[in-house]
Amino acid sequence: MQPLRQPLPASRRGNPLPAAPLLALLLLLLALQEAAGAPAGSGGPEDSGWRQDTELPRQLLSQAARVALHFFNFRAGSPSALRMLAEVQESRAWINQKKERKVDLVFTTELYNPEEGNKRLGKCSARVFFRNEKPRPAVNVTCAQLIEKKKRHEEDYQLYKRMKQLQNPVDVVSIPDNHGHIDPSLKPIWDLAFLGSSYVMWEKTTQFLHYYMAQLSRVKQWKTNDDAIDFGYTVLLHEFSTQEIIPCHIHLVWYPGKPLKVKYHCQEVQTPEEASGTEEGSAVAPTELSNF
Amino acid sequence: MKPLLGTFYILGMLVPGGLGYDRSLAQHRQEVVDETVSPRRSLETYSYNRYHPMEEVYQWMSQIREKYTEVVTQHFLGMTYESRPMYCLKISQPSDNPKKIIWMDCGIHAREWIAPAFCQWFVKEILQNYKDNSRIRRLLKNLDFYVLPVLNIDGYIYTWTTDRLWRKSRSSHNNGTCFGTDLNRNFNASWCSIGASHNCQELTFCGTGPVSEPETKAVSSFIESKKENIVCFLTMHSYGQLILLPYGYTTNKPSNHEELIQVGQKAANALKAKHGTNYRVGSSADILYATSGSSRDWAWDIGIPFSYTFELRDNGTYGFVLPEAQIQATCEEAMEAVLSVLDDVYEKYWHSNSAEKATSTAVVLSLLMSFMSLL
Repeated sequence: MQPLRQPLPASRRGNPLPAAPLLALLLLLLALQEAAGAPAGSGGPEDSGWRQDTELPRQLLSQAARVALHFFNFRAGSPSALRMLAEVQESRAWINQKKERKVDLVFTTELYNPEEGNKRLGKCSARVFFRNEKPRPAVNVTCAQLIEKKKRHEEDYQLYKRMKQLQNPVDVVSIPDNHGHIDPSLKPIWDLAFLGSSYVMWEKTTQFLHYYMAQLSRVKQWKTNDDAIDFGYTVLLHEFSTQEIIPCHIHLVWYPGKPLKVKYHCQEVQTPEEASGTEEGSAVAPTELSNF
Repeated sequence: MKPLLGTFYILGMLVPGGLGYDRSLAQHRQEVVDETVSPRRSLETYSYNRYHPMEEVYQWMSQIREKYTEVVTQHFLGMTYESRPMYCLKISQPSDNPKKIIWMDCGIHAREWIAPAFCQWFVKEILQNYKDNSRIRRLLKNLDFYVLPVLNIDGYIYTWTTDRLWRKSRSSHNNGTCFGTDLNRNFNASWCSIGASHNCQELTFCGTGPVSEPETKAVSSFIESKKENIVCFLTMHSYGQLILLPYGYTTNKPSNHEELIQVGQKAANALKAKHGTNYRVGSSADILYATSGSSRDWAWDIGIPFSYTFELRDNGTYGFVLPEAQIQATCEEAMEAVLSVLDDVYEKYWHSNSAEKATSTAVVLSLLMSFMSLL
């Protein structure tokens, strides 16, 4: 029996079935195959042979949500409105021959710094495109507004003022300290550091490696002038699944409402082939988008 | 160096480099430094809501043994790489009943401080409540608990003195140029086949061979010697909020996978009921990543039916450096989960219902057989 996927020639020997209904069936099959392979509701990259990935490990879904949030937090540039992942609600994943993965997600978020007694959940949808082992996944993310824009600006400005009032904290070594304690007066530093680290964590994430901020190990430089906070620090990133701790030196410049500027280099001390290496990157966040 | 604790050297904890705190790390924790300088504290003032350095854990173990001498004994397992004694506490209600064993270890990875905190919490809860809490009293009728509060003692001390985020042991390799084996890759369970490294520089270094490390040997031999009676093996880690079943070294499932999932899920539900925290349940290879040489997989493979890894709080916000303010809630909810597992284990081996079920099933079957013979 001829395989149905082969285009049927008009007249063939020995085929007991009439050609016309078979052709209709073939067209139907092709249409179904295309519908399954195409990204839902959008005109994403239709070629490159995307097929649905039903074996996607659950872990990769939360990783995708987290990296989307790192990107979102960086772009929002707002240390008082940082978000963290609550729960992945819906997902769909595709994989192609090059083993690249595309993940569509709907997930809920919580505020990193929740308001007293108010643990509202925000909803986000994202598409994350992992380029196999390469870092810097492409992220498209939109989140429903959790905090009113004006309030967010105000809180950022309050944070900025509190930071300006801090003495130059050269004595501060670890935030949090080894017992997990962050002095309330130093919390703004942690939040700003997390904002800068979000950029770094997004850039470094691959399908196989993802990151958490383990500890702020050193505050190196701290200048505030009328325009901005100029902040240099070293953050220790925890890398999954190697379990490594990666020190990254980050330098950022921030002013409420203005795009965040980040420069960094990370020490990769554990790669077997090289004795050590550094990874550098820098960015300026685009001007505020109106979708949040 | 700054030897702060001269009296505690009795226990043979001379370490190259001394045991003093790195002052600059203790900037914000002046009160902790003061505590460790103060003389021998009593058990009444021991705070289960703080993290304790190893000297205090050793002291706590002796005090527990002294205070609860009717049910607690201390057992020597072996010496660590840096020649420190490894002790576990056995909690056992004297009786004529045959006993099965529950094993719990904490702190196989040095930086996971919440784990040893939980082991201490667990012991405290059992001992403070076994007389008047019927649930715990029932468990102790037929179960003995063996608790190892800190497995990777050398590494744990190193996180207090030198590097808070150290993970491995402190064994020396490559002519003293590289330190530490990942003890949870060193057990004899598909050793170093996947998810582990032969390179000492890496944090998942599996050691020079299966059970190459003294700490692994100490635990393995002890468990091996009692394996006929061990029904439950629990190993506590952080972070991730997970209850993991075997295997890590393969996606194949152990023969009692369904049962393990059921018991695990029930435990996660009990945990969530306490403070609303979500823990996920699944086999390690499915929901975490592939690993080989883990103690949990090894325990299952030698015949211990209920073998779980707990990854305690949190989900990455603070990670290994979980605030002390969260110790209580983390331990309370984890306690519910562990008790839930123990209840299920108890039901399986001793509850009268299972005997009744067996009897009634036998009755039905014999009725059926006799009915069929009439046809």
